[in-house]
Amino acid sequence: MTINSHSRRQELAMLVPAMLFLVAIIFVPFALSIWFSFTDQRLVPRPIPTSFVGITNYERLFADRLFWQAIGNTLLFAVLVVPFQLAISLAAAMALNAAIPFRSFFRSVSILPLLLPMTVVVAIWSMLYRIPTGPLNLVYQWFTGSENYVDFIGGSSTAMISLVVLSAWASFPYQMLIYLAGLQDISPELYEAAKLDGAESWQRFRSVTWPGLRNVNIFLLILTTIQALKLFTQVNVMTKGGPNGATTTIIYYLFQQGYTTQKVGYASAIAVVFFVAVSAIALMQRILLKNEGDS
Amino acid sequence: MKHALFAGAALAAFAVCSQAMAGQLTAWVIDAAAEKPYFDQLAGAFNAQFEASGVTLEVLPVPSYNDAIQAASVSGGLPDIILLDGPNMAAAAWAGTIQPITSLIDPALLKDMMPGVLAQGTYGPTGELYFVSAYDSTVILWGNRKQLEAAGVRIPTSVEDAWTREEFRDALEQLAQVDGVKWPLDMKLNYGAGEWMTYGFAPFVQSNGGDLIDRTTWVAEGTLNSPGNIDVVTELQDWYKRGWIVPASAGDNQFYGEKTAALSWVGNWMWPPHSEGLGDDLVMIPAPNFGPDGVKSANGGWGWAVPTATTNREDVKVFLDFVMSDEQVALYADITGFAPSRAAAIPLSEKFKESGPQDLFAEQGNCCAVVRPVHPAYPAITLAWSRALQNILSDGSADVKTELDAAAQAIDQDIADNQGYPPFSAQ
Repeated sequence: MTINSHSRRQELAMLVPAMLFLVAIIFVPFALSIWFSFTDQRLVPRPIPTSFVGITNYERLFADRLFWQAIGNTLLFAVLVVPFQLAISLAAAMALNAAIPFRSFFRSVSILPLLLPMTVVVAIWSMLYRIPTGPLNLVYQWFTGSENYVDFIGGSSTAMISLVVLSAWASFPYQMLIYLAGLQDISPELYEAAKLDGAESWQRFRSVTWPGLRNVNIFLLILTTIQALKLFTQVNVMTKGGPNGATTTIIYYLFQQGYTTQKVGYASAIAVVFFVAVSAIALMQRILLKNEGDS
Repeated sequence: MKHALFAGAALAAFAVCSQAMAGQLTAWVIDAAAEKPYFDQLAGAFNAQFEASGVTLEVLPVPSYNDAIQAASVSGGLPDIILLDGPNMAAAAWAGTIQPITSLIDPALLKDMMPGVLAQGTYGPTGELYFVSAYDSTVILWGNRKQLEAAGVRIPTSVEDAWTREEFRDALEQLAQVDGVKWPLDMKLNYGAGEWMTYGFAPFVQSNGGDLIDRTTWVAEGTLNSPGNIDVVTELQDWYKRGWIVPASAGDNQFYGEKTAALSWVGNWMWPPHSEGLGDDLVMIPAPNFGPDGVKSANGGWGWAVPTATTNREDVKVFLDFVMSDEQVALYADITGFAPSRAAAIPLSEKFKESGPQDLFAEQGNCCAVVRPVHPAYPAITLAWSRALQNILSDGSADVKTELDAAAQAIDQDIADNQGYPPFSAQ
């Protein structure tokens, strides 16, 4: 036995406990999910035995109007929230990277939304969105000079946008911190060289900052997209999928089917489809956006 | 010597364990504000009376109650006694989670029980009792006297002269014009798409002769989306479109806090905040008479059930007889404001012994309560119906017939997927 294969064995032996853990916690439920999606499994035991139903769950799923509505809502949310959240977190990171007074204080304060549990965030924003005289409506009434109010959460056209704003506010510090690290990685000499060449601040952004953030952008784009596609807590606590199904997302629909009506088989089919879709999206993003330094 | 020590220790441990199991009851209860004072005193009162005879009780409030029960029933960790939401009794009984309690309670305690409460606990196919409750809830119209008088609306006093559908509609129209009234009627849309949509809205269609599901064939198609139901629900949607109903995002207190709603359609659990907010201006109006079947009252609530795994039935009998005794039922009513489920408890209750506006709760419960369908598919029934109603009343754009058709189809699909929930309907 050579030294190489001996140390190789040692490496593998070290990995075994963690691999077992991963298998038990991730792969086993994953495989079970796929299995359940071909059965009519229920959440709570019942007198009728669970039977194998083939692709019935999938057939029903693709004919289900509510499922397609959930897919549409989830994609809409992702398309709205990802650019918005990345934009505001980049803006915040750039502001906090500049030499402003009390910079440490502002850096600490701007992380606060991330520290709040989502249910607390929803409670705060429900109060802000309240009709007829919640704070945002008071502002609206002051601007328009009328007594009318906007039903942010209850109106079909505004409910999704209200969720977008709420979610972006709650999570932007995370992206902001990563952008901050990315900005600090850009060598200040590049900025000096650009200034010497007579570049304006917008041109400096386009030519130095933006390309320098390429890897960070790709990472955050994929991460934020996946997070956006998983939207659940805000819907479950604030809008309950309404109004008229306008904010039902895939995970919320899965929760309703699997937990509330206890149709684990059907919910597993949703989970499998969701997994395939998200993997495809992430893979596509990865392929289309090559990292800097990739050949 | 070592063996003897080990054997002695094992014996002692075994003795301690069996000592701890015999005569000790654990009950899970909901962690709710209204009921909390009652559950806080329950263990103390029980133990004071029964500790000497060797039975002790521990009462544990559990948050996220329904989730905890579901998780425990799958993992086998249910306690000796649980609190159960009435409509879920049939599903739990069918799944084998709970056992019959017909022989575990003194028959004399069931004789004067409200028929709606008994119906809620009786499992159709076997006729056995699985669930018993100390109270019955109901839903009434609460009114703001000043605003009603300003609109010139007649205030009914008992179920006999309840508002008809036309009177109700006219009243809302009048109230909409009163100064200070933004929305004439608060229907608690802020509760969201949950049990409230079924519990609070089924009486309207039932009063008109309809129902959520045919209770002999257990088929929803043709009953849930009957022309009568569509008619009633369309009327409610019309009221919403006219701006007569408080929207969901307006919060909970438009009636008793902001006083911008003149009427509130909600259950008697709101008695304390309503009387605090409105004082003498509060009037209690019976449920409306929406059609040929007369006034119908919502019914049901939480009650006691015994998981199948529980073996110390003698002790459970002591508990059930205690908790359904005259004094305990009266105490429950006094603390929560719900109507006592047993007639013998009424003279003992501070809130209900004297005649007063609260008589309406018991009156409606006794004359007109319609139990929610006692069927294992109830979770599917309530989800489909409440989702349909939430869509219909959320912005007025949903088509009533389409929504109710989809709801009926979802329910029938669920029943078919479970082969009719034998023995409820053979398939």
